[in-house]
Amino acid sequence: MTVSNPLLPHLATLQEVIDLTPDVRLFKIEPNDPAVKESFDYQPGQFIFVSAFGTGESPFGLTSVAYRKDSLEVAVRKVGTVTGSLHELEPGATVGVRGPFGNHFPMDEFKGKNIFIIGGGIGFAPLRPVVTTIIDHKADYGDLFILNGARTPQDLCFSDEFDTWSASPGTRLELTVDAGNDDWTGRVDLIPTVVRELALSPENAVAIICGPPIMIHFTLIDLKKLGFEDRQIVTTLEGKMKCGLGKCARCNVGDKYICQDGPVFTMEQISSMLEQF
Amino acid sequence: MSQYISKQDLLSWLGKLRESHRLAAPVRVDDLVLFKKVERVEDIALDFDNTTLSPKEFFFPPTETLFYADRKDGQVELVPAEVTEETVIFGIRPCDAKGIATLDLPYMEEPGDALYQQHRDRTTLIGLSCIKACPECFCTSMGSGPDDASNVDIMLTEAGEGYIVQVLTDKGKAIAPQLAEKDVQAPPAPAVTPVPSEGISEKMREAFDDPYWGRLADRCLHCSMCSYVCPTCYCFDIRDYNENGRANRVRSWESCQSPGFTKIAGGHDPRADKGIRLRQRFGHKLLYFPEHFGTMHCIGCGRCVRSCPVNIDIREIIQDVQKLGAQK
Amino acid sequence: MIEEIRTKARELLESGTVDCVIGYERATDGINARPLFVYDAAGADRLIFDQTCTHNLVKYLRNRKDKVTGIVVKGCDSRAVNLLISEHQIEREKAYIIGVVCPGIVETGWNKKSDKLRDICQVCRQHTPVVYDFLVGEPPASEPEVEPYPDVAAMEAKTPAEREDFWREQSSRCIRCYACRQVCPGCYCSECFVERLDPLWVGIRIAPKENEMWNSMRAFHLTGRCIGCNQCERVCPMNIPLSLLNRKLEKEVAETFHFQAGMDAETPAPFATFEKDEKIGIGE
Repeated sequence: MTVSNPLLPHLATLQEVIDLTPDVRLFKIEPNDPAVKESFDYQPGQFIFVSAFGTGESPFGLTSVAYRKDSLEVAVRKVGTVTGSLHELEPGATVGVRGPFGNHFPMDEFKGKNIFIIGGGIGFAPLRPVVTTIIDHKADYGDLFILNGARTPQDLCFSDEFDTWSASPGTRLELTVDAGNDDWTGRVDLIPTVVRELALSPENAVAIICGPPIMIHFTLIDLKKLGFEDRQIVTTLEGKMKCGLGKCARCNVGDKYICQDGPVFTMEQISSMLEQF
Repeated sequence: MSQYISKQDLLSWLGKLRESHRLAAPVRVDDLVLFKKVERVEDIALDFDNTTLSPKEFFFPPTETLFYADRKDGQVELVPAEVTEETVIFGIRPCDAKGIATLDLPYMEEPGDALYQQHRDRTTLIGLSCIKACPECFCTSMGSGPDDASNVDIMLTEAGEGYIVQVLTDKGKAIAPQLAEKDVQAPPAPAVTPVPSEGISEKMREAFDDPYWGRLADRCLHCSMCSYVCPTCYCFDIRDYNENGRANRVRSWESCQSPGFTKIAGGHDPRADKGIRLRQRFGHKLLYFPEHFGTMHCIGCGRCVRSCPVNIDIREIIQDVQKLGAQK
Repeated sequence: MIEEIRTKARELLESGTVDCVIGYERATDGINARPLFVYDAAGADRLIFDQTCTHNLVKYLRNRKDKVTGIVVKGCDSRAVNLLISEHQIEREKAYIIGVVCPGIVETGWNKKSDKLRDICQVCRQHTPVVYDFLVGEPPASEPEVEPYPDVAAMEAKTPAEREDFWREQSSRCIRCYACRQVCPGCYCSECFVERLDPLWVGIRIAPKENEMWNSMRAFHLTGRCIGCNQCERVCPMNIPLSLLNRKLEKEVAETFHFQAGMDAETPAPFATFEKDEKIGIGE
């Protein structure tokens, strides 16, 4: 029996590199093999492994949407060896791609509901395809509320899309930072504070949150106080990953593998997990 | 009447196999017995309890190249590694053979691991049943037994001045020698000390949050020895190495016990606590793996018990978990 | 001896002087010892002390930095206490040291009973702990005159080619389980050089050249710091004689600097000290 090696990446080319923030870059990648590029189908929430050959491979959430038939987009924060190597690459460079892996946001289940998207910093990256999908198919969904927060104004991700998002009907965009600067005239509040202040209603709603653990922790408290139930709150879990195939036995939270059973989980699922991280 | 081979004929047969295959067998190296590529059949240890390291290294090597990425003129070419050598492993104990069958489960689950599959396809197993059991063996409590022939291609059982031979699979037939018929009985299988493994998964779930794990981890050194000597542990790390413009992606053994196993870039480590980290090992072995694959993630070989420098004893832990789980 | 240890442990726990006593208890083979952490006075009854108590428990003191911990130490172990104090890894006040005059430890192995003293114990010149709060046992009137490094001398007598062959074979056995590092009180870096990938010193490959780098560099990092408990060698599952590397360097340090690690917590260690005008005769 010949098995094609699932640890072998597809060769891909970096099409474009865009600075989103001082330490976050958006990489637009296309697999070299046209058959691979054509068949690369994925849903919001899924992730890929990107290889910087000679350094290694890391998982990144896909921040683009497959139905637009554009390049694969990932937001990469320079924080370690692989991300450091990736940040040195220029358009035209060859990288490796494996995937897509993991489960995805249940977009079908979100239809007809009011959606609250709450993201902090680079945590907004996996939420962006959810925003894009909803805005592109707005009639299928209820109201869309987007809360994008960051430590400082320059750390806000996807700022060049804010106008598009605000302009969408039935859509409200709130930005907030932990600390402003001289040019910033917007909110200076922690995300949980904004959630509390705006008194989001859990009626027929789903809250999707992603960001640093501490931000999720406190935002959850406020969402629960507003009446959101665990099954109405969706998030993504992060863990150290190596294979994406459930074989290196590293990314499990109790008996659930983030790369197989996740990364998307509801709070209901997370609360009943054996390990509570 | 049984199929039979004398000790002398056994060594001749293995000597011939050596010419056409890589032959690996238990060999004495100072005070240790290790599976080694055999240079001379006289070096093969026939009288041994079990090897220090399991034979998993022939299917899941300590270090293995996955592929090379050659860079030339701005182009990258991927050259996947391939296993081409035909291997025969002689002297594998029934517990270790079950260990290989257990490793098959995660590695061959879709999508299958190509290199593991190649190692498996190109390896034939000649088992050696156990005519005595060590005090720390507990294979019978983990779904195997000292004469369990389920997972080998040929099984040898010592009887008299030679071995009863069972040729069990097509792979076994392909390498089996001429065998004599002999009126000889297999000796009775030795008694193996039982360990209360019945229902352990449920009890592990019940005992999951008990402070027991923190107390147990007090003395754990968090080296990687238990995972490395274990026939069924399969965690690995992957890294690239640069050698003269050629990138070499390598997979190596790693242990969930190693500090930093779950540390992500940015510094967060959900298993920084020793108790949580140690609990992961036994959670995986006694609960997660059995619930997912339907079989225990331990084959009762006793290697971890023999090797652990601070006597973290899985048999004791199973007994403790049974008690703790029953109390909840 | 054991009754004194148990009584003292009970007293320390009952009075709240410590919240834990680290000692030894019987292992599951019924023959050897294993570390024991006692948190309540009743548990003190499980404490034992005999010639199978090989473990250097001082390794565990670093984990317990914020609490006062009772600990049972032998001669060599006590030098590890001084080492960690001098390197600002533990505070003297946070440890209540139950020193035991050590009779020498036997060769231990799973389910094996032995009367033979460990090689390192046969050349021991420090049976009495050098630091303690409470002493158990009668200190010998004098320490024996022994040839301190017969094993190192035997290796030095081999030709370079013989030594190279020897270490090549030994390195090929190493599986990089890092038990040697994890058991060593002197190895406590939050990120070991071997785990560092940028810059890459050794990497994750488990192969002879990398193994050789690992074992020799670890020994170098312990130069002037190793207190000779030889637990690294005891725990090695592949029976690699790691102590030879450490003891060769220990011998060099003794001869060049007249220094032995851990004899007190004040004397500056040679490789942790820099003096502007020091000359040690190298390169002159």
